[in-house]
Order: sequence, then C-alpha cells, then structure tokens
Amino acid sequence: MDLDANRSLIAAALGRIPAGDRTALQTVYRLTSAKLFGVCLRILGERGEAEDVLQEVYVTVWRKAADFDASRASPMTWLIAIARNRSIDRLRASRLSRNMTPIDEAGEIADGTATADRALEGLQDHARLHGCLDGLAKHERTALRGAFFDGNTYEELAARMTVPLGTMKSWIRRAMIKLKACLEQ
Amino acid sequence: MSDAFDHSALPDDELLAAEYALGVLSGAERAAAEQRVARDRGFARLVAEWEQRLAPWAAEIPDIVPPPQVWDRIAGALPAQSQSGGLWQSLAFWRGLSFAAGALAAACLAALIYLGALTQQQPLVATIEGDGHRHFVATIDAKRGTVAVVPAAFSADATRVPELWLIPADGKPRPVGLLRADRTVTLTLPAELAALAKGDAVLAVSLEPPGGSTTGLPTGPVIATGKLTSL
Repeated sequence: MDLDANRSLIAAALGRIPAGDRTALQTVYRLTSAKLFGVCLRILGERGEAEDVLQEVYVTVWRKAADFDASRASPMTWLIAIARNRSIDRLRASRLSRNMTPIDEAGEIADGTATADRALEGLQDHARLHGCLDGLAKHERTALRGAFFDGNTYEELAARMTVPLGTMKSWIRRAMIKLKACLEQ
Repeated sequence: MSDAFDHSALPDDELLAAEYALGVLSGAERAAAEQRVARDRGFARLVAEWEQRLAPWAAEIPDIVPPPQVWDRIAGALPAQSQSGGLWQSLAFWRGLSFAAGALAAACLAALIYLGALTQQQPLVATIEGDGHRHFVATIDAKRGTVAVVPAAFSADATRVPELWLIPADGKPRPVGLLRADRTVTLTLPAELAALAKGDAVLAVSLEPPGGSTTGLPTGPVIATGKLTSL
C-alpha cells in the first residue's frame, strides 16, 4: 500500500472514532498495532507488559481521538507519542528491570539506520532526523538514544554513562537545542 | 543547576516540553508536565512539536504483530454500545455506517481501476525448506500487499520464535514478521517490500528471541529458506 494512502486512511479512521464507530478503531488497530506493539515492547522489554500497555494505548485512542487534529499532526506521530508515554508511565510505575547496561562512547548501541525502511510515512523525515543526529557529539546521541529507545530517565542515563546528573542534563538539553536548530534549517 | 551551559537558546517551557517528549523526566516532574499538557494549549503544542521531531526515530523499531487476543481485550474494554442513546446514538451509528459503505465503495472502485491498469499479477509462492524438511509454505499476494505463511513440518521451540525475512537481489534481509508453528499467519507487506518481492528474491526463517529480532537483522540461526516463484 502506498504510504501516503495509509496515512490518510489512519487519519480518516481516527476522525470517525468520536462518533462511536468501533470499526474505525479496528481499522486504526489493523494499520498501526504492529508498529505500536514494537514501540511498547522496545521500551518495556517484556511481552506481557507490552500487551497490557498496547491495550491501554488503543483504549486511550478511543477516548481521545477527538483531540487528534489531522491538519496539524501526522497520525503516526500522535499514536507513537501515546504508545511511548503509556509505556514510559508503566516502566516508571513498575519494578520492571530497565535497560541499565552501562554504555560508553565505544559501546554505542548499534545504529538502526538499516532497518528504518518500514511502516512510517516519513522516510524523508527519518533521513533528515538522522542527518541531524549525526551532527551531534557521540555522547549526546548515545544519551538521546537511551532515552528514546529504552525509556531511561536523566538519573538512569547518568548512571549508565557514569557521569554526574548535572552533566547528563546539560548533555541532553544541549543536544535538543542543536537538534531543533538543525531540523529547522 | 550545576551545569554552566547557557540554555538561553531555548526558553524554559520549550526545554521542559523537549524533556517531557523525550521521556527523561520522572516522578513529580513528569506528572506536572503531563498535567500541563492537559490544561495549557501552548505547552501542549510545544510538546506536540517535539513529538513530531522525534517520531521518525521510531522507524528504526521493527514492527511486531501483537497476538490476536489483544484486540479482543480492547474491544471488551470499550464502553458497551448504549441502547439509551436514542436518536442521536443511532444517527451517529448510521452516519458511521454510510461513511463506511462510502469508503468501501470508493475502495472497490479504486481497486477496479488499479486492477484494470495492471498487467495481471500472479501470486508468488515459496516453499521454505531447511535440513531436508519443508518448514513453511508462503504465498505473496502483491496486489493486496500480504504474505500468508502456512506452517508445515516446523516444530515450535520453547524459547525462540520463527521470524520471516525477505532477501531481495541485494542480499540484505528485510524483516517481514513473526510466524507461528500452530497456525497460518498473514502478514502485511509494505509497498516498498512488496516491490522487492520478485522472482529472484528469497524468503528465509530465523529463530529469534520472543518478540523477534530487535536489530533489524537475523540474530539467531537461519533454519530454512525458499526461493519465490510464480504460480
């Protein structure tokens, strides 16, 4: 299926949910659940927990679909943000073991560029983000990756990279400022 | 704050929005930011902008098809369809239905036009064999963008799951999805993958940890392969 067509299908289905259309939610689920389950599982690292959170995600979508504004946001961005937030909330509330493997600059998590060829409409967006991430210092990129993919807090990232908390906050904030400037170019 | 870095390049609200969207806040700070998203539209917009900036990164996370019971649980968790909603409820219902019917009609028409424009496409099949056994039989329907995989002699492994890969002419495996030993699985094939599923491509099955490979490449042993051929 054409990815733009997919995007419009998801957006149109989201638009029908506030009227109570269950088949619309099912359509959204059919088109997006594999991506969102991947996101939940990546952050939570445990299948049972990820299934529970995925259920919460779509019940949230059902309740909040009226908040989605197709003229302002991409449906996948909106859905991924819900999946990440629900997963992070679950991670913080639970005793699940977090990914706390020490990381240093040499041990930077394998770069996933090669796999980035599926499901999201924004291949160009991905290339652009990657270009900007490549412009960051390696320790900044590593810290952002730990936060985005493992759901780590500032404290956890500081421990994983064995730097003081203040240093980690500074790294992340500096990285975000650079990232925004680069993406706006 | 102990760091000497000058944050003046971004206002405090924007930094907080970035930290919340990235997910590095915890405890009270995260809860406070979450509440602000709910009641402060300007702040919610800043958060949405950061989500938009970061979301493309999720393209690196492989799709994993959830088990079918998750949808059943979601359907069960939705509020029961109200009988007392009266006219409004049924209006919404009928409007939804006519929307759906309209969409279906449009989809049928589009499919007809599409079919008419294409030279006839044959389904592709692959018998996925390894170690003298036929493990799976896969049929690719390029028109619908699906691949149906039927288990044959494959026996389940308690600790690992079978994952299907498409290996086109360039030799680089692309993840397609997880398979089951006990039933047919139909996976969707995104357009860019469907375009690579030609007569010279190979389907392969590897054994991966539950949830599948997280690297985008096979991490476990490849136990079976099969070449795609036209029916």
